Amino acid sequence: MEQRELRLLEERCIQEEPPACRAGCPLGVDGRSFARAIAREDLAEARTILEKSMPLVGIVGRLCEAPCEKYCLRREFGGSIALGALERFCLNSVPTKGKILRLPLRAKKVRIIGSGPSSLTAAFDLAKKGYPVTVFHTAGGPGAWLRSVNASILPAQVLEEELARLISLGVELQQAATLDAALSAAGTADAWYIGQDDTLAADLLAMLAAPDMETFALATAGLFTGGLCPADHPFRLITDVSQGREAAVSIDRFLQGASLTASRVALRHGHTDLFTETKDVVIRQRIVATDAAGYTAQEAISEADRCLDCQCLECVKHCVYLAEFGAYPKTYARRVYNNSAIVKGIHQANRFINSCTLCGQCETICPKDFSMAELCLDARKLMVRENRMPASAHWFALEEMRAATGETALVRHAPSTTTSKTMFFPGCQLAGIRPEQSLRLYEHLLSLEPQTGIWLDCCGAPAHWAGRDEEFSALRARLQKIWDDMGRPRVVTACSTCLQMFREHLPDIKVHSVWTEMATVPVVDASSRPPRPPHPPLALSDPCTSRNDPTTRQAVRSLLTAMGQELAPLTMDGELTECCGFGGLLENANPELSKKMRAARVTQSDADFLTYCAMCRDQLAKAGKPVLHLLDLLFPETALAANEPPASLSTRRANRGILKNKLLQGFGADELPAKAPWEDLPLVISPATEALLEERRILHDDIRQVLFHAAEGTTSLQHGASTLRLASARLGAVTFWVQYRMVDDSYHIDRCWSHRMTIHPGGAA
Amino acid sequence: MSLRFLPQDMNWTCTHCGVPLQPGMVELHYMDNVFKVELPVCPKCSAVLIPEELALGRILEVEQLLEDK
Repeated sequence: MEQRELRLLEERCIQEEPPACRAGCPLGVDGRSFARAIAREDLAEARTILEKSMPLVGIVGRLCEAPCEKYCLRREFGGSIALGALERFCLNSVPTKGKILRLPLRAKKVRIIGSGPSSLTAAFDLAKKGYPVTVFHTAGGPGAWLRSVNASILPAQVLEEELARLISLGVELQQAATLDAALSAAGTADAWYIGQDDTLAADLLAMLAAPDMETFALATAGLFTGGLCPADHPFRLITDVSQGREAAVSIDRFLQGASLTASRVALRHGHTDLFTETKDVVIRQRIVATDAAGYTAQEAISEADRCLDCQCLECVKHCVYLAEFGAYPKTYARRVYNNSAIVKGIHQANRFINSCTLCGQCETICPKDFSMAELCLDARKLMVRENRMPASAHWFALEEMRAATGETALVRHAPSTTTSKTMFFPGCQLAGIRPEQSLRLYEHLLSLEPQTGIWLDCCGAPAHWAGRDEEFSALRARLQKIWDDMGRPRVVTACSTCLQMFREHLPDIKVHSVWTEMATVPVVDASSRPPRPPHPPLALSDPCTSRNDPTTRQAVRSLLTAMGQELAPLTMDGELTECCGFGGLLENANPELSKKMRAARVTQSDADFLTYCAMCRDQLAKAGKPVLHLLDLLFPETALAANEPPASLSTRRANRGILKNKLLQGFGADELPAKAPWEDLPLVISPATEALLEERRILHDDIRQVLFHAAEGTTSLQHGASTLRLASARLGAVTFWVQYRMVDDSYHIDRCWSHRMTIHPGGAA
Repeated sequence: MSLRFLPQDMNWTCTHCGVPLQPGMVELHYMDNVFKVELPVCPKCSAVLIPEELALGRILEVEQLLEDK
């Protein structure tokens, strides 16, 4: 990813857009943080937030007419947050922390005619930047109309304090008889500001045309004016202060010889791209102060607590993965970019990149279609290309894929036929998890179309998800060739992932979902049994790979309706559905997070779950939830119970072989594939050890191979005079250890472990 | 990686050679890195014992560290 691409991507995440209140404040005061600080009773922090963006905070904070309240999202739910009243409360409750920092003194001078709010603001901002500023005022004293504000709102003492602060910043307050044209001719300055929110003489006013309303510059270079708001305007003070500030920005740019407009941040007037979901907001009425002087502390805290704390975070709210890493996509994009840029050192985001399920929910939810899947998959591909993908991250899934495309793969036309109109592609997970139902489904498809061949294989999704472009492309070419060799039949699959992979990566192949096939031609039960009563309402969890496949999702619902099966509501279904924790190989790369994800999913309904993806079925069942597969409903004679334990990794591997053999037997003439010499070694494994093997991803087949090789000469140890033995062998990229005892010619397996490091004898001490 | 990984229980014998394992130097290799460590070794055929705690502890930790480098 290039810097430019990163920036484009970052822009699509709107979480850092300002909340409406801040966008509606001409000074950009962070009203959200301010209200949150008051709500948590941190008044000092609240004042600091005001001082960060507000000039002359004692005056402006007390008099601000709070245009922000127009934009507040709380407005429709009990009234806008009373930010104006909260500002006054804050300023009356906590003194300033004091000193304002000023940049080193600059040579160029600024003179300001008029001492109304716009002039004082310009003086404040420019003095902070180091410019020597002189403000001319009339005999009434600096401040102009501010001096006539009721003392209960703006005590005279506060005005004096703010003026004293200006003086401390080096501003010279100079009295003039009248604020007239002669004043501008009398002295020399590098820039002038004329604040019209004071009493100006007619000759001076006559010199002033209307300024540019973005820069407040007049046609004469170095001359600026503002303070143009009519006295009866509802936002008079804040408008004039804003004009003084914008003029100060222009003056600073002018004095530095910079463009007045280039890259200038425009006022937002309430516009923001931040999306905030308000559908669950409960109405809470605005707190009315009991005392005319303003809020008590308790009232202020209660009022501030009504703040919605506007955030987008829509994707993060619904994704366990995005929440797990503590930030949001904009930050994540930078994290991924930085991770790719590291040449020497630890790649801290590898695990983060490999933990996305690539399920696409965030993209569907995001108002700007930000796709974490795209970001993470691209990063994985880059890691693979640069040979820095952790070898262990996806190892097991890739081994499974290789077995499914190798020893347990099978392609045949239907028995006694030589061509196929259709090929049934159950998908490797259905074959591994539900071999009997795969067979039953195949029989059903044969009854619909006798020229239906069988194709046991893997669609290559693991290679794709792992970012292994080269391997995936070889697998695709292989699938394409098999399909060509079989006469280019239509393909029917029972797996949403296979369906998605074929559609997106093998577009020549006309692929259909078995569920849409079955919805067209209903299952006819040939037996005379009465139909089974439907289950109580079930929560239908769509697999995440069906997110963009409304046809299949609808077909499944039609099948269920036809069976009289009612559905219980499930949060996040259909195109918003959630991943079971397997997608994107999460279960391999980050098993703990995968566990959290499936646990979160099953809490979304009290009803038993139903799904039409074999992997989802077993993943959700691992969370202890009763889960049915659609085939349990369609073919009751092969149904497994909703609380059927998930198939272990070894069982899945074995089931694929069993399914293949049963199919081969059905084809009659075919001989069964030769057995490996270790295949029949008798193992005895306790449930506790089975759980250990599952967690460590060690297959019975691995154990048998190790035992076989150890007998043939790899490491074989025995413990003292006991029957305890230890065998070890390297299988591919991993060295396995098996601790066991021989009892009656059976291998009683005790513990197993593995490592990837290789052992080499020797090496001097 | 610290250099000595001798388990308390050294009472293991190599089945093929019939000799007890003894402390011996071994090289562990991973991703072009080499670690010289002391482990129980068969003095005759150089078979090595990697105990479970070592495989799932220090070795796994170093493997993951190197993979993220």
